[in-house]
Amino acid sequence: MLLTMKVAFRNILRQKKRSFLLAGAIAFGMLVITLMNALTGGVVGNIRENFSHALGGHIFIMGREWTDAGQMIMKIRPDERLEQLLEEHGAQIEGFTRRSQAMPTMIFGSRQTMQMLYGVDFAEETKLLESLIVTEGSFSEIGTEEASIILPQPVGERLGVQVGETMIIRLETLTGQQNVGEVKVVAFIKDQEELGLSAAYTSRSYLNTLLGMDPHEYQLLNMFLTDLDMVDEFARVFREGLRAEDEEEEVVEAEPAVSVTVAGMPMDPMTEREELTPWEGTRYQIMHINQIMEAVELVVGVLNRVGQVIFLILLVVTMVGITNTFRMIMIERTKEIGTMRAFGMHQKQVKNIFLWEAVFLGLLGCIAGLFLALVISFIVGGIELNTDPSMQFFLDNGKITFIFSLTKVVFNTAIVVFISLLAAYWPARAAAKMSPIKALSSHT
Amino acid sequence: MGIVELENVKKVYTLGKAEVHAVRGVTFSIEKGDFASIVGPSGSGKSTILNLIGCIDQPTDGIVSINGTVTDGLKDKALTRLRHETLGFIFQSFNLIPVLNVYENIEFPLLLGKDKRSKKEIREWIEFLVEAVGLGDHMHHKSNELSGGQRQRVAIARALATKPEIVLADEPTANLDSKTGQSIIELMKKMNAELNTTFIFSTHDRTIMDIADHVIQLLDGLVVEDTKRSAKVGNLS
Repeated sequence: MLLTMKVAFRNILRQKKRSFLLAGAIAFGMLVITLMNALTGGVVGNIRENFSHALGGHIFIMGREWTDAGQMIMKIRPDERLEQLLEEHGAQIEGFTRRSQAMPTMIFGSRQTMQMLYGVDFAEETKLLESLIVTEGSFSEIGTEEASIILPQPVGERLGVQVGETMIIRLETLTGQQNVGEVKVVAFIKDQEELGLSAAYTSRSYLNTLLGMDPHEYQLLNMFLTDLDMVDEFARVFREGLRAEDEEEEVVEAEPAVSVTVAGMPMDPMTEREELTPWEGTRYQIMHINQIMEAVELVVGVLNRVGQVIFLILLVVTMVGITNTFRMIMIERTKEIGTMRAFGMHQKQVKNIFLWEAVFLGLLGCIAGLFLALVISFIVGGIELNTDPSMQFFLDNGKITFIFSLTKVVFNTAIVVFISLLAAYWPARAAAKMSPIKALSSHT
Repeated sequence: MGIVELENVKKVYTLGKAEVHAVRGVTFSIEKGDFASIVGPSGSGKSTILNLIGCIDQPTDGIVSINGTVTDGLKDKALTRLRHETLGFIFQSFNLIPVLNVYENIEFPLLLGKDKRSKKEIREWIEFLVEAVGLGDHMHHKSNELSGGQRQRVAIARALATKPEIVLADEPTANLDSKTGQSIIELMKKMNAELNTTFIFSTHDRTIMDIADHVIQLLDGLVVEDTKRSAKVGNLS
């Protein structure tokens, strides 16, 4: 086998231009599919990451309870079961945040607008501050000024408010009374309004005061996990652990994924189908980032399939080229084949020389394609793009991310090698079947 | 019994609708260690007979026996094995493998089968052959870096690599000038004497055929003269 491999490899170097063109065609196909896979992988990663930052976690736990007046409110009170679960699984939790939320009317002068507002413990949510892109002002006053607010730039523009000015927010408390507060604008941030993720941020304790909640209460518990592969399992464990004795098993997976976010906030699909019979205490709703990502991954899956089809078409075209080239090679080397056969080379060994040549060509093409893909991704990935805010959601700090999957690279390489083998098989077989006398009598 | 036996061998080629009788019933025997020459004008059937002895072609009729094995009815695998184990070839246009260097070309036939010798023994044997054909300084040269005479020397060494019983050479001097041709035949004769390998070569050059100790003369596909000279020429080098 070593002999056939050696001869095959050297044969590739024999006609450098021809080998270069063939391997180049393969490399182009490999380049396209690798870049496409890496790009979609990067986009999925960035969307997941940006969603996680915007929503403040990978797992979202909401608490609901009934008031004495028969009203359902969203609230999480200190709960031993929850604390115990957090303690038990602390090693897998990178960090968790407790948020309150409201949809207040923001008023400045004669202008007003409604805006999603999160009450955040800024000391806890360093990841959030890292992910927000400041366009004006700074976060330095956040810790010192409790009644401060971070506004999306377009919201500030709509209201005509400037950084440093104070505006009014009007909202309903959890029990439905009207309440008003004053907040100082400390910073404007870039907005992802187009994706329904426009949110303003204030301190949780201040928002709790306006909502009529105690400072240690909150509405959403969001967790960042150390390993994103554990999201589904983690959500299951928390669902089990927090389910009330009389509560039926939750079937969140049956819900369409698109129904989970509205205005950047994970919604509770159960309320749409659940019979609203009041219960005692707090019941929990657990959502996770993968439910939001399902729709994205579906689109990315389609994109990858399209890429795969383009890749296969390119390979089929290349395959025709390989077959024709190998036919030509067979004719050129007829006498050589005759000589090898005369010295005792078996038909199978002759065939193997051609097949190894095809394998080497395929592999060289793949290596070249991968190398080019790495170079291109390195260059493109280094460019900071000044795109529309909605596009920023697909990027990592304004840069395109490429994530290379070893499994996909190996799979694509295997396809290339298989197709190269298939393309070379018939010429190889014809070369092997050639009668030694005819081969030696050839004038080529 | 000769190492090569041909008995009433015929070979007919079909060229379109016409039949060409290349060999019309040839019978002869060559003994082990012979330095045999098959001579005759172009179209007399020299190459056809060498191809039949070399098991790269099959007779239309008659029996060809190589080292006691009748080739008739053997399948490709068996013929390939027989060629590898018993025969060595020297071609008119050298037919070296262009991607291999001198050493690798000579080593090539050894790698086609299972050799019981150690790597060291094989290397020493190839080095001996390279030295014997006078190319010790060209061990790692590619064939395109060698002259015609040097290429034919490599071909001789390659033909002897597997220590075959028989070496067949089809007009080995045809592409060489007379002086180089003479030296190639002398080299073949030397190897014949030193290794006791049977050499069978075809030629139409009268000066070369005189070195042979067994001359088979052909004309129009028939043996017209089969001469054995009693005194073998010794080492010429």
